[in-house]
Amino acid sequence: MSLDNILNNWSDYRKAAEEGGFYDPEGNHPYEHRWTMSINLDLCNGCNACSTACYAENNLAFVGKERFEKGHAMSWMRIERYWDDQDKDYPEKGASFLPMMCQQCGAATCEPVCPVAATYHTPDGLNAQVYNRCIGSRYCSNNCPYRVRYFNFYSYYDDAWPEPMQQQLNPDITVRDKGVMEKCTFCVQRIRSAKDKAQMEDRPVRDGEVMPACAQSCPTSAIVFGDTLDENSAISKLWKKHQVKRNVTQQHKENPELRGYRIFEELNVDPSVMYLERVREEV
Amino acid sequence: MMGWGGAGTLLAGCDMPSTVTLEEGREEVISYLSPEEYVIPGVGVWYASTCTQCAAGCGIHGRVREGRVLKLEGNPVSPVNKGKLCQMGQAGVQGHYNPDRITTPLLRSGGSLSPVSWEKAEQVLAEKLGGVKGDRFAWFTGSISGHQLSLVSSHLDAMGSTNHFVHEVVNNSVAQSVYADMFGDDAPRLRIDKAKMVLSFGADFMGASESPLLYSGDYSRFRTAETRGLLVQVEPKMSLTGGSADLWMPIRPGTEGVLALGIANLLLNKLKMSDAGIPADVREMINKYDVTSVARITGVAGHRIQRVAALLQERSPSLVLAGATVEGHTHGYASTAAVMMINHILGNVGKTIEPGARVPFPQLAAKRGGTADLAAFAEAAKGQQLDVVIFHGSNPAYTAPASLGLDDGLANIGFKVAIAQFPDETAMAADLVLPVASYLEDWGTLAPAFLGGEAALQVQQPLMEKLHAETRGFGDIVLALLKQRKAADFDKFEDYYGYLRNAFAALPASVKGGADSDEAFWNGALQAGVVMLPADTAPLRSTVVAFSEPREADDAAGGLMLIPSPRMGLWDGRHANLPWLQEAPDQISKVVWDSWAEIHPETAQKNGISQGDLISVRSAHGEIRTRAVLLKSVHRDVVAVPLGQGHEVYGRYAEGIGANPLKIIDPARDAKTGELAMYATRVSIKHVAGPEQFGLVKAGGSDTQAGRKLVVTVSAKQLRRTEGA
Repeated sequence: MSLDNILNNWSDYRKAAEEGGFYDPEGNHPYEHRWTMSINLDLCNGCNACSTACYAENNLAFVGKERFEKGHAMSWMRIERYWDDQDKDYPEKGASFLPMMCQQCGAATCEPVCPVAATYHTPDGLNAQVYNRCIGSRYCSNNCPYRVRYFNFYSYYDDAWPEPMQQQLNPDITVRDKGVMEKCTFCVQRIRSAKDKAQMEDRPVRDGEVMPACAQSCPTSAIVFGDTLDENSAISKLWKKHQVKRNVTQQHKENPELRGYRIFEELNVDPSVMYLERVREEV
Repeated sequence: MMGWGGAGTLLAGCDMPSTVTLEEGREEVISYLSPEEYVIPGVGVWYASTCTQCAAGCGIHGRVREGRVLKLEGNPVSPVNKGKLCQMGQAGVQGHYNPDRITTPLLRSGGSLSPVSWEKAEQVLAEKLGGVKGDRFAWFTGSISGHQLSLVSSHLDAMGSTNHFVHEVVNNSVAQSVYADMFGDDAPRLRIDKAKMVLSFGADFMGASESPLLYSGDYSRFRTAETRGLLVQVEPKMSLTGGSADLWMPIRPGTEGVLALGIANLLLNKLKMSDAGIPADVREMINKYDVTSVARITGVAGHRIQRVAALLQERSPSLVLAGATVEGHTHGYASTAAVMMINHILGNVGKTIEPGARVPFPQLAAKRGGTADLAAFAEAAKGQQLDVVIFHGSNPAYTAPASLGLDDGLANIGFKVAIAQFPDETAMAADLVLPVASYLEDWGTLAPAFLGGEAALQVQQPLMEKLHAETRGFGDIVLALLKQRKAADFDKFEDYYGYLRNAFAALPASVKGGADSDEAFWNGALQAGVVMLPADTAPLRSTVVAFSEPREADDAAGGLMLIPSPRMGLWDGRHANLPWLQEAPDQISKVVWDSWAEIHPETAQKNGISQGDLISVRSAHGEIRTRAVLLKSVHRDVVAVPLGQGHEVYGRYAEGIGANPLKIIDPARDAKTGELAMYATRVSIKHVAGPEQFGLVKAGGSDTQAGRKLVVTVSAKQLRRTEGA
């Protein structure tokens, strides 16, 4: 059973990686939506608003100092801070901030290794994690080049949500228990409710109708989110403007100076997040 | 744990006995059998209100489902934050649902605080207030505005007292008085978005500032303008804003005013800009500071100073800002004035410095706190001038430097009342503690001091029923006090809600716009969360005041200076009990759940200190111990210890973590404004013990990109070619 899963996953993955996109046995249009994100690193100031918004929206447990040191923190969206120019006396160009979360890869390396198909690809182009199928092998996490999968080493109910803190929990999503892997979902519950609403009103999902918690809070509006299958969406225009293509391991831009890039795309994982290069003016 | 949604209930049911009576299961699914009209199980409704996590007064939307508030977002129509919400605002729900809230009145008897009924509390309070005369009574609050301020002022009137101490650690009081003296407006609108270049002397406008989200929005437009704005930041310790600078320059603490004079010198003498309006004394002082001497005093390289001056002339209009690290010295006013003078020389006043939009009702306008009132309060308390003091929204027992002797002072006050949500240091030192509702359970109005356009009054409404039956709204508590004194004026209001309704009905027709009735106007205000007001603005003037030489006599003496740095997150310590913020890594050092001392690696080496060592930081007024973090983002002459930790009491998430650097600062004060010179304390450091497990915990494995293409940086020239006009 689990070997079958691995082989099936692997075959889907190869097709995704080699033929471009979600494998569909019927050969029809493979995606209903293609949710993608863009983060402008010239606007990101590393303030943590996105990260805390994510804790609030997605029922993320805080783990405390000791567990944090052991690498158990559950920050689905974390801000990396790098120092460039290490040889200088002072960091004269400031810090390099990088918001890092699941890149919702089109050919995700986490997917084929799951022995129970708990992590799989949705017709929305998301890497979904089926919590109640997950057995905690952690293969997916080992295989993720971005290190954005977070494992529940403990049950955090009592520690992270003592009475009456549990009343804050978002009822649209679960609280994950010990032994389960979790990660950024692009706020799938918000996507779900927007799709439901659109369906009830018999219309397509409108651009801007889905806003993940991180993008909504971002004080400098560095994060843009949307459906790249909708040609007129702001996010589609942004990908086009920066001439960044999906399903490639290297961008061949007409204008190579455009700022859009994807992290680790050379690994053939087809990330769904486009970053825009940080800018510094020579003084 | 039981989930609240249907699926959660079923799953959680596995651990439950297989039969649950209707009565036993009652509360677990939906709290009531016949819900109120607007409550649809499973459907969240958004209500507008106002954030009080700092003094900025951002508008929020709270998502309410099944009678509980779940998530906060920014309110898009608020002229402060325009739909955005910072991490402190996001964590507001953790204060509201905090397990360590005070839930009943507490009265000191036999040395310790014990729960009493409201009846008893009110009776004791009435007795004490009845026996106090005039100025021997005082209010001590944080920044306060709107109708809460109006009530507090009325209560002071009724008591015959003029003592309202307003204290805020994160403030811009010194700059306020410079703005007023030079531009004729103590809260001008600083248009970062209109500037082509911002030169910031330690102004952490996107982090610990008077309105972080207003300025973050401006910054976003500044960076995405046709010509991308250029940010140069000069400060002794890299702030959140400094991390985003095109050029970040460390400067010897306290010499910022000298650098400003040096830049003025170049603008006037080398670049031949006009010196009109500069007093002769100041003009002479400017001439004394040529590039060579300025570079020697400040530690900023001469060619940098020349380049920055040339850029300022070139990139017009620009904006020059002064922040806390400039203000926090005994010559803070002079330094800030020297910095603001550059705006005058460059002609920025009227272009990037515009009149602030102020609320047209002075009784509602924000009373913004500083540290002068803290010092004055400590003096009054030590001098036995106060018999009864009511504290609210401020924690002076934690923020006051030990050198002010506030502990002794507090002991001298006959009766201390704390209107408090949490058992903080001040509440636990009080004689009577009144449990106050959280801001998500309370009514109120706030008049933000800094607004992105028109003047506005932010409206605060309860997003849910009170969690704890025995807590009361702040307005209700003050109103009850007023009824005791001025029954004739205040008995007509049943509660604070009634008072607000009446106040809104009494607003002039010009404010009510086209509303058909008072009811319609009120409902509209609640729906929007904000009432737009005709702004009371006056044109600015651009003048330069005479100021003294902005430096210490002994600034060449060397030695290490302590920077007690406030930060977006724990702020001045008030958010140390919110675990999301404890676990959110500091933006620059990436440390969690702790205090630390940022030291330049060279300074560390000289003192025999390595990363993670426990060190002692000692001033003339005390010692703190904390872990060393070696970073190049601090000046060599600086030890930066963040604010926020070192709480003796404050609930389970804050107690016993780290150290409080405010405790060891000198009681020196700015000569002109009386504000505490927060950044002027000399300290020595010493190795105490080596690193150990769980000693210092940081997020992230790597400080460098190690050659990987993670954050790619390109030049502004390239950006101009591709995305410019």
